[in-house]
Amino acid sequence: MPAYNTIAFHADRCDGCGKCMIACAQAKSASDSPRRARLEVLADDAGRFELTMCRQCADPECVQSCPAAALAKNAATGVIEWDHDKCIDCLLCTVGCSFAGIALDEAAGHVVKCDQCGGDPACVRACKPGALEYLTMARIYDEAGSLEDLFVQGLSACQGCNTELIMRHTLRRVGPDTVVAAPPGCVPGMGAVGYNGLTGTKVPVFHPLLTNTAPMLAGLKRVYKRKGRQVTALALAGDGGAADVGFQSLSGAAERGEEILFLVIDNEGYMNTGMQRSSCTPYGAWTTTTPVGRESHGKSQDAKNLPLLMVGHRCAYVATASTAFMADFYLKLDRALQASKTGFAYLHVYSPCTTGWRFPSKKNIEVARKAVESNFVLLWEYTPAAGLRLTRSVDDPVPLSEYLVALGKYRHLTPEQVAHLEQHIAENVAAIKRHALAEAAAPPASTRPGISSAGALQGPPASQA
Amino acid sequence: MAAVAPLPSGRVLACDGNEAAALAVALARVDMVAVYPITPQSSLVEYLAKFIADGRLQAELVDAEGEHSVLSVLQGAALAGARTFTATSGPGLAFMFEPYLRTPGMRLPIVMSIVTRDTLTPQCVWGGHQDAMSVREAGWVQMYCETVQEVLDTTIIAYRVAEQRDVMLPVNVCHDGNYLSYGTARIELPEQDAVDTFLGAPDVNWHAALDPDRPMAVDPLTGGPAGAGPATFVRYRRGQCAGMHRALDAIRDAHREWARLTGRNHAPLIERYRMEDAECAIVTLGSMTGAAKDAVDEARAAGRRVGLVKVKTFRPFPATDVADALCKLRSFGVVDRSVDFAWNCGPLYREVVTALQGGTRTATSQSFIGGLAGADLTVEHFQRVIETVGQMREVAGPRDTVWLDAQE
Amino acid sequence: MEQTHYLIAGASHAALAAMHAIRLVDADGSLTVIGRDRELPYSPTLLPYVVSGRTDPQRAFLRDHEYFTRARAAYRCGHALVRIDPANRVAELDDGSRLRFDKLLLATGARPVIPPIPGLDAVPYHVLRTLEDALRLRAQLPQTRRAIVLGAGLVGMHAAENLSKGGARVTIVEQQQQVLPGYFDAQAARIIARAFERADVTIRTGARALAIEAAAGGVTLRLADGSAVSGDLLLISAGVTPVIDFLADTPIQCDRGVVVDATMQTSVERIWAAGDVAQAASFYGAHPVLNGILPNAVEQGRIAGMAMAGDRALEGFRGAVPLNTYSYYGQHAVSVGSGAAPPGAEVVESSDAESARYLKIILDEGRLHGIFAINTPIDPGVMWQMVRRRLDLSAVRDRFLAQPRTMGRLLMSSLLR
Repeated sequence: MPAYNTIAFHADRCDGCGKCMIACAQAKSASDSPRRARLEVLADDAGRFELTMCRQCADPECVQSCPAAALAKNAATGVIEWDHDKCIDCLLCTVGCSFAGIALDEAAGHVVKCDQCGGDPACVRACKPGALEYLTMARIYDEAGSLEDLFVQGLSACQGCNTELIMRHTLRRVGPDTVVAAPPGCVPGMGAVGYNGLTGTKVPVFHPLLTNTAPMLAGLKRVYKRKGRQVTALALAGDGGAADVGFQSLSGAAERGEEILFLVIDNEGYMNTGMQRSSCTPYGAWTTTTPVGRESHGKSQDAKNLPLLMVGHRCAYVATASTAFMADFYLKLDRALQASKTGFAYLHVYSPCTTGWRFPSKKNIEVARKAVESNFVLLWEYTPAAGLRLTRSVDDPVPLSEYLVALGKYRHLTPEQVAHLEQHIAENVAAIKRHALAEAAAPPASTRPGISSAGALQGPPASQA
Repeated sequence: MAAVAPLPSGRVLACDGNEAAALAVALARVDMVAVYPITPQSSLVEYLAKFIADGRLQAELVDAEGEHSVLSVLQGAALAGARTFTATSGPGLAFMFEPYLRTPGMRLPIVMSIVTRDTLTPQCVWGGHQDAMSVREAGWVQMYCETVQEVLDTTIIAYRVAEQRDVMLPVNVCHDGNYLSYGTARIELPEQDAVDTFLGAPDVNWHAALDPDRPMAVDPLTGGPAGAGPATFVRYRRGQCAGMHRALDAIRDAHREWARLTGRNHAPLIERYRMEDAECAIVTLGSMTGAAKDAVDEARAAGRRVGLVKVKTFRPFPATDVADALCKLRSFGVVDRSVDFAWNCGPLYREVVTALQGGTRTATSQSFIGGLAGADLTVEHFQRVIETVGQMREVAGPRDTVWLDAQE
Repeated sequence: MEQTHYLIAGASHAALAAMHAIRLVDADGSLTVIGRDRELPYSPTLLPYVVSGRTDPQRAFLRDHEYFTRARAAYRCGHALVRIDPANRVAELDDGSRLRFDKLLLATGARPVIPPIPGLDAVPYHVLRTLEDALRLRAQLPQTRRAIVLGAGLVGMHAAENLSKGGARVTIVEQQQQVLPGYFDAQAARIIARAFERADVTIRTGARALAIEAAAGGVTLRLADGSAVSGDLLLISAGVTPVIDFLADTPIQCDRGVVVDATMQTSVERIWAAGDVAQAASFYGAHPVLNGILPNAVEQGRIAGMAMAGDRALEGFRGAVPLNTYSYYGQHAVSVGSGAAPPGAEVVESSDAESARYLKIILDEGRLHGIFAINTPIDPGVMWQMVRRRLDLSAVRDRFLAQPRTMGRLLMSSLLR
């Protein structure tokens, strides 16, 4: 069964302005009266807002309650469609619906319901605070679900491994005309590059040195291009190989604009070899080489900001992503893939490690989400033409403690260390904002990549110059 | 678009060894050249860059940020089916070591010139064989050239050897920094048709490829204490050794075929120079051979029964040929342009002595080390060698190495 | 003998809801639907609109053949069950064919009640329960001048409106003191009746029919008060009764309908009943009731289907709640829940004759017991949920009474976010 796009309501962002209802009434009833709208925002006594609108149920009761077959769920869009010609105005659909998603419009004399404006909801467009959001995750679910999983079942990753999730999603999306290079780390460690004659990957896969993933792929890609063949060169590298010992070759390939999709899975250290420190390990974090003892209390330096360093290379595309924000991740994956056809595309995906960071495996996505919500991890993207822009607001973060408390590797932190981290995050946010502002001054906003209101991808960043 | 001047094939010209190597690469029609400049290799890659810029060589050029990436680029390219080339020297080779070690195991027929240079330290940008000798156990084929012409011819021959299906190994063509890299000589260029006939189309990744049309895991993890792992690993290793052994025949065959096509007859494994009825001999490697031959000629003119054995193919080591050439001698001296630190002698010397083990007679021998750090090995040096070797009588125990440039 | 895992007798809302529920958890079990009519499934609720011509009968079907094909279900139309052998789990159809089943759902619906009025069997009359009925009645419309509608239930009222709009002089004859008894209270009924009277429909409530006799070109209905009503068309719309006669010689317990438990199972294992044929628990009392309304059929059909397929998400039937929506002459009436106020209940009623608006809310111990609205917008589905969940409205009583729709939406949105 396919998934469908949906209109989400973030009550905490709603200011009750009512513009959504007016926009709906205008779009659907040629009226300025919110009473003619097909959605209603209501305030309770405490000033909190609730939304009433059709939820486009998967198993809609209204459809079953219609004696005239005037309601039907569109299998392609998921929208429950109402047929004026068939409707007999019996109102039985309004009995079937528990959400008041279909209701009598007295002025019209018949029932009305939300049809999502054919994929470009007027209410969402009118909602300035972003309380209404048109979620197009369904596209991902349906598309990714229909694509072949190019890794075998049962890779030997740790329970709840986020990296496996990233790998599988990435390769599904990137597709079979791909050569994967996975330098030493968790990706090969879980069997992706093959072991004793068996391989866990259905596309050609290579286990390069920790140091030479990018140039090895560069050579490969150049030859295929020379032969006129479309082959995606995909690196699935860890933060250690990319930011530390492999940084030179990564930098070189980026500078030369090699047409590679270089995806870094950042689990903040050498998790595969037993949780040693890398330059991406955050300040204060326990690792086996930054242990907690009488004289030291975890890592004493801040993490290297590798994605920002890649911006310094003016890559065709640079972005950070998190599996807690899959729509964003997929969007960036699409753009990175597109950009990799003409230049170096760099995607930095944060990947909490249940084993190395010391937290229960079931909490992986929660940890990933808290990392972003607390600004410990910032989500942004960059193209040379459009510059850097935050893809998720950094304003109003949740307290850092909500993130730190979940992780064993920060259990020992002193208040001073927490303060240091908070300071570091503040500096990070400021730095990224400065970048974003500086870049924003240059090109017109219309050239920026982003989701159009219809939820469709705009053209690839590389073609927006 | 300006008319592209064709390569000057089938002509005679004067050039240095670096240009000769570059011309050979162009004639071999390689698909991919990755470069990083280093003394004394730099002009070689400059020539290649220019050939490509001028359209005279239709190859991809990757100006990598270091030798480590240079060879990594070639690995990727080879796995996609490309005929590839690079060149390096001394510290560059050292920096390349990680992917360098891996190349023969993957059986990638990459050809790389080592424009030989002494290794640090002390700091030194001059010629010497220490760089190439330092990687002698890495599993690459190594051939050392004597002349500019041999640089050109051997570089082409190297592709035929490397891509021979029962060999499939990377090849280093070593030519001496300074003396061959910058020394200008008259050379004859082969016809492009002859080279095309000789090499055929690149045959690089039929065995191991990164190609979505025939997906496989290239160089997967093997090993582990139990199961098929160690046996798999041993199979790879033994295959590599077998390929290396077969390279001896391949090198011989390739040289013979090259001689048939071009009329130029280079000794493939070792060259025996005036070894008929010789009692003593000098064993040489690389460009020093010219001066050594002059010294031998003078000694012969003086009636001394002295000959010369030049080792061209050092890896695989042509032990049978070397033993056969030297076993009946009374004495011989081996002149190395590098040092075997463990044995306090030259590395070629140790190889030669090892090759003679198990024979019925063992000649008295002496290791000479000279020409380090760009120092010239002159006829006078070899006269001293001949003098020393000629006077040697059977003496029990090891002889101290003679350092030819020592200021006693 | 032909075998089927699931046998569903009936093809309207309860049957289709059951089939849908079964297929959600069991994609493959063999399933056969027996439809009484020759057509594809349709809803009896639709029939007045077929009569009026508003609905094209060919576009009114609830499912098409492709639906059954895709669902890997056999749809056998034009047949009815005539006999069941519960011990051997064999059903016999009216063509003599026999089917062995593992699980049987009785969703055979109801048929019109024909009141025992002397002379009725000797005159032509119409009923309105099948598509065939509707088409026959529709064919009669052009030559109808005066129509008698016997029974002021929903079918009768709908038909009366449509006959009237078709040009006939219509008289509604209802034995009870108001129209739509059991659906709306007396005051609401008066408001509704007024709309009919304004359209020149004659309403005779409290009128008991004594006899019927043929008259020139029609019939004459003699009433208990001595008066008579004549017409050239007579529609009997005196309610419906479950189709259960074919169960007479089975151990399946029947009262007015087939008695079922909270999972819609009959007194015999592996046999369920749902919809108009079933007599299930009432939401308001211990005694099982018939509740022949469409939402009830859907809910019971789903429960039966889930039970038949062993769906672990099944929750038992919470009891029948009267639910009605009624649109007439462009006006709208809604009733949810019981109009019988229990002792101590709070009844808040407001009406405005001018605008024909009416609202009555019954709160019992702070919980919604019933709500009745005419031309006053409320969301019946939300109200139904409030009733069946017994939502405590004490804290928001005032606002709910003032703005039942807004408050209902707020409550349900926060509950079902």
